[in-house]
Amino acid sequence: MKQTSHRFSQNVTRALAEPTLKLALDRTTTLLRSRRARVIADFPQYAQARETAQKIKDHTLDNLGHYLRQFEQNAIASGAQVHWAATPAEARKIVTDICTAEGAKTATRVKSMLGEEIGIGEALAEAGVERIETDLAEHIIQLAGDPPSHIVMPAMHKTHEQVAELFADKHAQPSATQDVPALVESARRELRPKFLNADISISGANFLIADTGSFITVTNEGNAELTTTPPRTHIVTVGIEKMVPSLKHAAVFLRLLSRAAIGTEITQYTTFYNGPKRAGDRDGPERVHIVLVDNHRSDMLSDFLRPMLRCIRCGACMNHCPVYSAVGGHAYGAVYPGPMGSVLTPAMTGLKGSKDLPNACTLNGRCKEVCPVNIPLPDMLRSLRARQFDAGMASPRTAWSLRLWAMLATRPALYRLATGAANIGLRVLARGRGKISAVPLAGGWTRTRDLPQPEAGTFMQQYKKKRH
Amino acid sequence: MSRDAILAKIDRVNGKGDPSGIAELAAALIAEPDGFRATFPDRPTYERFVAKATSDTVTATVEPLSGLSALPAAIAAYLTENGLAQHIALQPRDSLTALDWTGFETAASARMDEPVAVTFADAGIAETGSLVFQSAPDAPVLLNFLPLHHLVVIRKDTILPHMEDAFERFGTLASDQQRSLNIITGTSGTADIEARNVRGAHGPRYMHIYIYCIDS
Repeated sequence: MKQTSHRFSQNVTRALAEPTLKLALDRTTTLLRSRRARVIADFPQYAQARETAQKIKDHTLDNLGHYLRQFEQNAIASGAQVHWAATPAEARKIVTDICTAEGAKTATRVKSMLGEEIGIGEALAEAGVERIETDLAEHIIQLAGDPPSHIVMPAMHKTHEQVAELFADKHAQPSATQDVPALVESARRELRPKFLNADISISGANFLIADTGSFITVTNEGNAELTTTPPRTHIVTVGIEKMVPSLKHAAVFLRLLSRAAIGTEITQYTTFYNGPKRAGDRDGPERVHIVLVDNHRSDMLSDFLRPMLRCIRCGACMNHCPVYSAVGGHAYGAVYPGPMGSVLTPAMTGLKGSKDLPNACTLNGRCKEVCPVNIPLPDMLRSLRARQFDAGMASPRTAWSLRLWAMLATRPALYRLATGAANIGLRVLARGRGKISAVPLAGGWTRTRDLPQPEAGTFMQQYKKKRH
Repeated sequence: MSRDAILAKIDRVNGKGDPSGIAELAAALIAEPDGFRATFPDRPTYERFVAKATSDTVTATVEPLSGLSALPAAIAAYLTENGLAQHIALQPRDSLTALDWTGFETAASARMDEPVAVTFADAGIAETGSLVFQSAPDAPVLLNFLPLHHLVVIRKDTILPHMEDAFERFGTLASDQQRSLNIITGTSGTADIEARNVRGAHGPRYMHIYIYCIDS
């Protein structure tokens, strides 16, 4: 997709003005939040599971070179071919070369964010391969020509009324009614023959298992297995950070992933794949290609973004983010939206084109609280802001205000004098009405709401008075 | 070559390290699994499995069988009850094909719009009400995904408490793995339109599980 993060503020203005977007976001995020809360409350071992998951990921990252080599060796032994791509362009080239060598005309695809990240759609178009998205949400946005707006539910921005209109227009045999089950049935009819007749299947992987060479997909629709079983070739594109040491380590994450993502104990379909079909097998691909993608992950390993490599792409951070819930995923203008995206996008595409993203955050901390691997997202967003400031990327007004603030904050006497004066000033502005409707230099804030009148005296003044 | 460049970069950050001892460190992290998984000390494994499999979230139905030989009659009753023809896609496993299927039309593979398939689960997982299927020449994968009604047979003593127990059963080494291991928990569902749950998205809409004991 074309990145538009540099136009974040225009994107937001447009998103807020869209009449159905807020409705679609509210319907979905509200349900996802309550389902998650319920399933976590029913899991007394959650805190320890989360801590264990964090430790496993940290351990794996500490020994990533070892585990990648071990994985490669075992995957090759299972009959798979392993490719390495440092950049999205390299990954795309590997995919198009395989498609060309296979003479492929059609490819069914299982949704994966890594696929979006490297631009798998463009790669297939370039190779002249028709791409058929099989995840229901991806199918919806493919028909609509939209980019994904959420990492787990890419069609979150669509209401069911909009989906009904789209299917009526694009499906061969659309359902007669507009209710959600009828829409799902319509997609089932449309996609069923396509699963069985594709030349190539493309998926991502939720986890890589070092000591067996396996890779895992999790879905609720069962589209991964329907996609990857019939075609003669299966291509897997996956980020190198998806590694875990063993099957039993993966079990820890499988318990957390769907609880965090959609509020269920486990996804309906969890599949472990090991190479192509074996002698005598009646189905399965003849060739399996695994493309291991770096794309700045090894850079992140060496700096303050390292904990971000623990991310298992559950989407809980965006479901709980007040900014995401108001503006939706498209406003971020990048493959990964929401809090995790605001950390990943600058890491993968540079600070400059995404400078609003780390600032589109209230630092309320809910993203970290609901993160199943305890990624300190607010701290990272704050660090990114600091880096922007150090790189001279802050606007002159922000830079000037921060310098003034630093000057005051490091001089206690001056600070007390200034806050005391501000306290008096604000009380004068309130004119005894308990609220202030306009403050100089803070028009953006007071244009849509009042500022409450402060108590008499600064915190320090009140504290001193009460102590005596 | 990108492989060597990526690995060299990682080694530069992490240090090349000594591979001995890594396995022990990794094992220590999961030495006490009951601390991080749902446990059910007061409930037999079988009861937990049935309760989970038939829960609102998994939506399967369960039927005990007196023995494997009772399966054809039970399936005939299911088909009649659901107004389905006496046609089944039957997994080509000897223990199933050896049963008396008189009165049925059977096929070893599933058609595009297969109404019913009958498959054998290699294990059950009580923690989540899941079924485990290992691919094999007599266990094609698509039979578990194409039908609208997925009828599953499982031997009671292969229902295990946790996912980790299933891994132990099938082997945790690279050389132990079949092409695919499917852990299936209920039916195909989607929440992609307004997060509303709908069943029968691409795969089965109904799952019915027959549980039998080996000694009967």
